[in-house]
Amino acid sequence: MSNAVEYSEGTSPLHRANPVSKVFLAICICVSTFLAQGYPMLLGLLAFTVGMSFLGGVGRRTLKLLAGLLAVSAVMFLIQTAISRQGQIVFLWVTDHGASVAAHAGIRLLTFALPLMVMLWVTRPTDLANAFVEVLHVPYKYAFTITTALRFVPIFSEEMDQIVEAQTARGVEYDSGNIFHRFRLMMPLMVPLLISSVSKADDTALAAEERGFYLRTRESSYKRYPMRALDLAIMGVGVALVVLGVLF
Amino acid sequence: MPAAATSAGGDEPVLSLRDVSFTYLEGEKPALSHFDLQVPQGDFLGIIGPSGAGKTTLAAVLSGAIPHHYRGTFQGVAMVCGMDTVEVELTDVSRAVGSVLQDIDAQMISSNVEDEMLYGLENFGVPHAEIPDRLEWALRTVGIQDLLHREVSTLSGGQKQKVAIAAILAIRPRVMVLDEPTAALDPASSRSVFETLRLLNEEEGITVVVIEQKVALLSEYCRHMAVLAEGSLRFHGTPREVFAHGEELRALGVDSPRVTRVSNQLARYGLTPTNEVCLNVEEAVETVARVVGDRGAGFEVARRTVSEEPPVGRPVLNFDHVGFSYGMGGASVEDLTFQVRHGELVGVIGQNGAGKTTTTKLINGLLRPSRGTVEVCGEKTTSQRTSQIARHVSTLFQDPDRQLCKNTVLEEVAFSLQLLGVADDVATERARSVVSRFALPEDAAPFSLSRGQRQIVALASVVVTEPDVLVLDEPTSGLDYRECMEVMAAVDEMRRKGCGVVMVCHDMEVVSDFASRLIVMANGRILADGAPADVFGDEELLARAYVSAPQVAQLSKRLADEVSPAFGGITEVHDIVEVTRGLARQ
Repeated sequence: MSNAVEYSEGTSPLHRANPVSKVFLAICICVSTFLAQGYPMLLGLLAFTVGMSFLGGVGRRTLKLLAGLLAVSAVMFLIQTAISRQGQIVFLWVTDHGASVAAHAGIRLLTFALPLMVMLWVTRPTDLANAFVEVLHVPYKYAFTITTALRFVPIFSEEMDQIVEAQTARGVEYDSGNIFHRFRLMMPLMVPLLISSVSKADDTALAAEERGFYLRTRESSYKRYPMRALDLAIMGVGVALVVLGVLF
Repeated sequence: MPAAATSAGGDEPVLSLRDVSFTYLEGEKPALSHFDLQVPQGDFLGIIGPSGAGKTTLAAVLSGAIPHHYRGTFQGVAMVCGMDTVEVELTDVSRAVGSVLQDIDAQMISSNVEDEMLYGLENFGVPHAEIPDRLEWALRTVGIQDLLHREVSTLSGGQKQKVAIAAILAIRPRVMVLDEPTAALDPASSRSVFETLRLLNEEEGITVVVIEQKVALLSEYCRHMAVLAEGSLRFHGTPREVFAHGEELRALGVDSPRVTRVSNQLARYGLTPTNEVCLNVEEAVETVARVVGDRGAGFEVARRTVSEEPPVGRPVLNFDHVGFSYGMGGASVEDLTFQVRHGELVGVIGQNGAGKTTTTKLINGLLRPSRGTVEVCGEKTTSQRTSQIARHVSTLFQDPDRQLCKNTVLEEVAFSLQLLGVADDVATERARSVVSRFALPEDAAPFSLSRGQRQIVALASVVVTEPDVLVLDEPTSGLDYRECMEVMAAVDEMRRKGCGVVMVCHDMEVVSDFASRLIVMANGRILADGAPADVFGDEELLARAYVSAPQVAQLSKRLADEVSPAFGGITEVHDIVEVTRGLARQ
């Protein structure tokens, strides 16, 4: 079962930390990625993220995702070299300036995507929602929307898999031709998926309402989400990373 | 007994509908019209009826979703635990009435069992100090303490149903309304869900209202039954009272348990009193034994024998020591060896997770064997693309919606042929004849049709290709009796024309009626491969595969042992009745 956003059970410090501080750290890494100019800092941020994922017990999953993202990152690199053409040509159409811009973009793509994913893997969606409601006073309605969207990711991806299987068994040739050809074949299937997702979302709304959705307040959650020393430390690290990003 | 304290006297019905009508905003006809129903405190009410009868609408009225969530025109008075549902909020109704929706994935709000359990408790303001006890009690009552820390996505269908029930139970409602809780479950899990409901009803005093298609199972558990058709209540009474109207029910498109058909037919021949309705095998054995008396010994009756010639010729499908395992998750299979010939319908039975669906995917080429070979019409599947295999193999999936993708029924059916390279005009012509044979509306959008009709559209788009091998994965789940018979009649016609059919099915009555051979699977292996009568006569085998024989097979076996050997091996209601008459006439 390939579920991109599924929570991995664990007891690491990252699992125990408050979801708010985890999100803060992830955002800090992203911000720092944008601010940082030098390769050492960019690669350092990447290494920090990977190291952090090992601390959270999701290291292998991260490396797998990183391998997948490298392909996307390589495409990004090629596109960027084609767009930025200032400077000396060093290879075919690639210029020295273009290569540098493209390399930055490629690495940034990795350091931008990874931290948020790692954060999701070590945080239960419900905890994320509850902590945002309790600590940041986010209205529950919005928090619920986000957790529900996360919950629907695996359900819809499975639904899509089964639709593709059913069509393949019928003889639709998803197993041949290039990616654009396959994409064109997939388009008509979006309609059934959309219809089933709208009715599913409506049913979930009803199920939630029938279990007191509108009665929920900031005090409802059985679990509490205090900010501890660990969380202050994590947020401190986040601020430090942003500062480093500005400097390097 | 929590929740048992009703207002004075306590004989006031806990649910009461008076002249209730409801028309959905987008609907033309009322889904319920002038509906009256009283449900006493502590009842276990089963709701049955054909598709489109208004069962789900009734559940929505009882749980307050109508008029609060679904939009439309509501008339009449619905009283729930003393509240008029129009005058209070949905949340107030929900404190008293817990409801489990048909789509169990949508019913789950959290991705983790613990959070799912906590959700209602937190929202309804149960004091935090009480929560651990409540949670523990609900899990223990339903028998799923071990699931507390699991992710919902890793649970089986039966486990999800139980989590949903436990999450509602924790709120301590007085009434529980469930919409087809066993639709996606195998027989063993279905029974287990009903055992849980019985416990809640008897031990905790909770009033249970359950919509169900499996009439035989339902009649064993419920105290009363309500039969709906076209938005109104046709019958309401004990299962015995309701099933005494077997003929009328059949006309409405509602099945009766097979043993009930036996007793009803005996009654029609004047052999038993008309009010003697059997609901389970035990009762039917007693009734037949009494009718036959001591005339059972040493008598042979000429029975209608199955006049099918054994299938001959080369097999269309050949599995030779096939093995397949997923990297993770999914049911692996090991050492599968069997053949399917032209004109055979092979039923594949076994528990969920036994490897049945994996086997069907190995046939239609969605999976390739990692060990051994699969040959379709003499060619190995490993050397062909799935789209090439599709020329010989057609599959009807459990959920028709995954198969449908076109704007009209005709296009949908013709599309199957176009995919195989048939010219557009020829495809349309052939599609048109199939569409008219199933009496489907050519220009209707498939998604605007009912669930049963969509299944028939999917079937039509499978039949039109005239495949050598037809694979059916739970072809009758979610269909009512009439739709089920329509689908199976078409399948049987395909088989008689020479198609080799492989059918995965949990409904043992359907299997017993239509299969010419059975393959029994458990833990990814084939336990047995043989004639239905032999398989269903082997109790030890069935126990190992966690399936139970259909009622008629159970009945004939008991009767052969206890009353007369003449009953041995009978698989049809008609034959049981004929043998009984023959013996009684002596």
